[in-house]
Amino acid sequence: MFVSNNFLSEGCVKCVGKTAKRFVSMVFAALLGFGGLMFVGAAQAEVPNVVPPEGSYSGEDVPQPIEFPHDIHADVNEINCMYCHTYARRSKVSGIPPTSKCMGCHTVIATDKPRIKKLTEYWENKESPEWNKVHDLPDFVHFTHEKHIQRFVFKNEGMDVENVSEVCAFCHGDVKSMTVAKKMKPLTMGFCVRCHEANDGPSDCWKCHK
Amino acid sequence: MSGNDINRRNFLKFMGLGGVGAATLTGCDMPTTVTIEEGKEKVVSYLAPEEYVIPGIGNWFASTCQQCPSGCGVHGRVREGRVLKLEGNPETLNGNGLCMMGQASLQTHYNPDRITQPMARKGGSLVPVSWDEAWKLLQENAGKVDAGRSAWFTGTVSGHQAVLLKALNKAWGSQDHYVYEAINNAVGEAVNEAVLGEAVPAYHLNKAKAILSFGADFLGTWVSPVHFAKQYAEFRTGDRGILMQVEPKMSLTGANADMWVAARPGTEGVVALGIANVLISKHQVSGSVLPQAALDVIAQYDVNKVTEVSGVSGDQLVRMANYLRGNSPSLVLSGESAHNHENGYQNAMAAMMLNILLGNVGKTIDGSNKLAVEELQAKTGSSAALLKFAEAVDAGKYDVVFFKGTNPLFTAPVAMDLAGKLAKVPFKVSLSMFLDDTTMQADLVLPLSSPYEEWNTSVAPYQPVEAAISMSQPLMNPLSSETRSFGDLLLGMLKHHGVDGYDFPSYYAYLQDAMDKLPASIKGSAVDFWADSVQKGYVKATAEGGSLTTKLGDLSQKAVDVGGDFPMHLVPSSNQTMWDGRNANLPWMQEQPDQISKVFWDSWAEIHPKTAAKLGVHEGDYIRIKSDQGSIDVKVYIYKGVHVDAVAVPMGRGHKEYGRYAKGNGVNPLSILSEVIEPTSGELATHGTRVSITKTGEHEELPRLGGSETQVGRRLVSTVSAEVFRRTEGA
Repeated sequence: MFVSNNFLSEGCVKCVGKTAKRFVSMVFAALLGFGGLMFVGAAQAEVPNVVPPEGSYSGEDVPQPIEFPHDIHADVNEINCMYCHTYARRSKVSGIPPTSKCMGCHTVIATDKPRIKKLTEYWENKESPEWNKVHDLPDFVHFTHEKHIQRFVFKNEGMDVENVSEVCAFCHGDVKSMTVAKKMKPLTMGFCVRCHEANDGPSDCWKCHK
Repeated sequence: MSGNDINRRNFLKFMGLGGVGAATLTGCDMPTTVTIEEGKEKVVSYLAPEEYVIPGIGNWFASTCQQCPSGCGVHGRVREGRVLKLEGNPETLNGNGLCMMGQASLQTHYNPDRITQPMARKGGSLVPVSWDEAWKLLQENAGKVDAGRSAWFTGTVSGHQAVLLKALNKAWGSQDHYVYEAINNAVGEAVNEAVLGEAVPAYHLNKAKAILSFGADFLGTWVSPVHFAKQYAEFRTGDRGILMQVEPKMSLTGANADMWVAARPGTEGVVALGIANVLISKHQVSGSVLPQAALDVIAQYDVNKVTEVSGVSGDQLVRMANYLRGNSPSLVLSGESAHNHENGYQNAMAAMMLNILLGNVGKTIDGSNKLAVEELQAKTGSSAALLKFAEAVDAGKYDVVFFKGTNPLFTAPVAMDLAGKLAKVPFKVSLSMFLDDTTMQADLVLPLSSPYEEWNTSVAPYQPVEAAISMSQPLMNPLSSETRSFGDLLLGMLKHHGVDGYDFPSYYAYLQDAMDKLPASIKGSAVDFWADSVQKGYVKATAEGGSLTTKLGDLSQKAVDVGGDFPMHLVPSSNQTMWDGRNANLPWMQEQPDQISKVFWDSWAEIHPKTAAKLGVHEGDYIRIKSDQGSIDVKVYIYKGVHVDAVAVPMGRGHKEYGRYAKGNGVNPLSILSEVIEPTSGELATHGTRVSITKTGEHEELPRLGGSETQVGRRLVSTVSAEVFRRTEGA
C-alpha cells in the first residue's frame, strides 16, 4: 500500500452488501413507474437482550449546509443506517459518508431538487460540505461505535441487522423522523454509566477515559 | 473543544467532588458543566476516499526520518489524512527502534512557526513575496554569477538530492559544496581512514565482551545511537559485557557504564597509553603488533605519569586494563569529548592503538559494506567545512551562497564572526522550514516542505551490514500550498539554468525515472519496482567492503595547557534532546528532562560538588562562565558526574531566532568558544575552550523533574554501593 498523490482523489464507489443492491433495484423499480408509491415505515421492532438507556434531551436545531432529510432516506426509502454510515461497525466513528457515496445515487435520482443541485455543485468543485457536528463528546471521552454496534447488533442473538436503526436510536433518538439530526439524548456520563450497568458493560474508568 | 472552559484539571477536580457519590452517579448528569457541544465543530467527509480508508482507523506507510543525519526508516500512522505517530521500520537497520528526536519530528512537521511562503529582504527586513517574484529574484541575483562564485552550505545530503545538487553546482561552474554538522565524528573518521583504511568501519558492540569508550556516547549521540542501543542490549544480555566510559561529563552511555572515569579533559589519549602500558608490562600482552615507535611512547606512560597528567588513579587504570585483558574480544571507542580537542587526533589514535594491541580489529571492528550506487551515498558533515567556508566567504569568494539543513549562525563560535563575514556575500539564499538564526540573515528565503510531505530518497551514512536506499513518500498532503520540496527546488533551479536532461514535471517524476534506471542487480525481480520500493520504504543495494588495515600513526601526546586565568574546561555537551540546536523548536524535546540533570526548558551548568563548594554556590545559583571570547550566565546543577576542573553546559539552547519555543530559552555555550582547531583534521576543537567561573549572586530555581536525588528511605529501587558490589561480586 502506498499513499496516492492526492488523498481526495476520485475513486470508484462500490456498493456494500445486499442492502445496497436491494436499494438500487428498488430505485430502478421506482423509476420504472412506481414513482408515486409511498413506502410504509417498518414497524417498531424490539432489540433483544438489551435494556435500552433511559433519558431524553431536547437539543438545539443545528443548521447544516444542506438540510439532509434523514426521514426520506431512512424512513420513506428504508435505507439501512449502515448503508451510509458504513464505518460504524468497524471503527470508533460511524463516519459521515463520502460525497462520492451521495453522488452514487444522486447522479440519477432527484437531480432537479435544490438540495441535490447544491450537492452536485460541491461534487463538481471537488469539495465536501462542511457539516456541523451534532453529537459531540468531550476530548477526554473515548467512545467507539464499533464495540456498541457489535454488542447490540452483530453479536446479539436474535437481532436482525435490518433493525439497526433501533440500536442507533439508543443514543441518537429516532433519526428516521428527523430531517437534519438533532441531539435527543443527554450523552452525559450518567447516561452512559447507567446503560453500562444495566447491560453489564465494562465499568473500568480507563475504558472511556484513556 | 473550542470555546470550552473545561480543561483536564477542572474535570478531575469536578470528578473528585462528584465522583465520591459515584454509586448514585450524581454529578455525572451535568451537561451544562461537562459541556457536550452541538454544532460547534465541523465535520468534513471524504470526497471519494481510497478503498482502504476507514475514518478512525490508521494506515501505516513507510517513509524516512530526517530529524538527524542518521536517516532511519520509519512507519507513519496516517488517519483522516493526518500523520499521527511514527515508529521504526522493522525491516531497516534499526528495526522497530526510533529515538525520541524521531518521535518528535512530527512536531517539526506540524510546527506553528513553519515558513509558509517565500520571503525576500526589502528595506532591511524579510517580507513575503510570491513564488514568481522569488524565482525572478533568484534568476536576477544567482542566474548569471561567474563560474565558481557560488556555493552550497548544507547539512548531510544524500540520495538523489545529492545527485541533483552536484549537477546544479556543475552547471554553475562551482565545486564548492560545504557539508557542515556541528555534531560529527570527523576526527574519528580521519583516524579510521589513516589506520584502518576506512573512514566508517563496522562496529560490532554485540560481539564485544568489554567496551572501553573514550567519550563516545553511542547510546546518545554517537554515529548511529538507535542501532548501537540494539547492539548494546545484546552486549548486556547473557554473558554480560562490561562497559567502561572515560569522559569529563557523564553522558547517557556513561550513566549506563559499570565504570565511569572522569579524566582531565583532553588527556584521554594519555589514559589509553597508560592502559596499554599496564597491559604490556603487567599482563604480558605482546606489543609485537605495534610499531617500535608506538611502544617507545607507551613506555613513557607508566601509572604514575598517567595519574599525574590525567588525574585517573592507578587503581582505576589497572582495573580497566584487567577488564580488557580478561574479556576478549573487547572494543575501544572514542567520541566527541576525546576528539574535539587540540590533540583530539592523538586521543583517537591512542584509542585505536588499544584496539590493535588487543586484537580487536577484524573481530569487533570490521570492514564496512557500502552502498552499491556510489553517487547516492551520504555526504557527511564536519566542522572543518565551516572553517573553510568562513575563510572563503571572508575572502569575498562568492556572489551567491545557498543554505540548507544547517544553522551555522547558531552553532559557529562568535569568535569566528561568521555573521560579519557573511555580510560580504551579496546574495544569500536559505532553503528552510523555519526562520532560524541563519535564515533570518538571508536575502531570499524559500520555504521547504516537511520530510513527511515530500518524495525523496536518502541514504543513511552508517549502515555497515546491509546498505539500502531509503525511500520517503508523503505521509499527508502539504499543510501549506506554498512550500516546496528540496528536490523540486533543485530541479527548478536546473531548469532555470537551462541544463539539459532535467525536463521533468516534478521531482517525483524525476525520482521514478532515476529509480527505474538503477541497475537490474538492484531492482531485482519485483513486478512493479517503484511501488514495491515505496511500500517497503527501502531498496537494498549492498556492495561488499574490503578488510581493514592496521597502520598505526604517531602516538606522541601534547601536554594539556594548565589554563592560567582560565583554569576550567568548558564541555559543550551534546544530548539527544536538543542535538545541535535543531530540536529547540520542538516542545516535546524542550519538555524532555535531561537524562542526568532532569532539567527541561532551560540551560544549566553541571559542576562537581567540590567545585561548587569552592565557589560557594548551590543548585540554582547563577555562575558566570567566562572565556577569552565572552561570557554566559547560567544556573548551576551540582553533580558528581563531571570532572572537578570541568563545567558542562549542554548545547542546543539559547537561540536568538527559530520560533516561539526556541527563542530566548537558555544560553548557547558555543557562543563563547575560543577558536581552537585540531590541526590534523582541521576540525573545530569544541571542547578545547578554557574558562573561569565566578558566582554572580543571582539565584533562580532550576526547572527540574523530581527535585530530589534520593529515595528518601523508601527503597523504591534497591541499590548497593560500588564498594560492596566489588567486594561481594568480585568484579
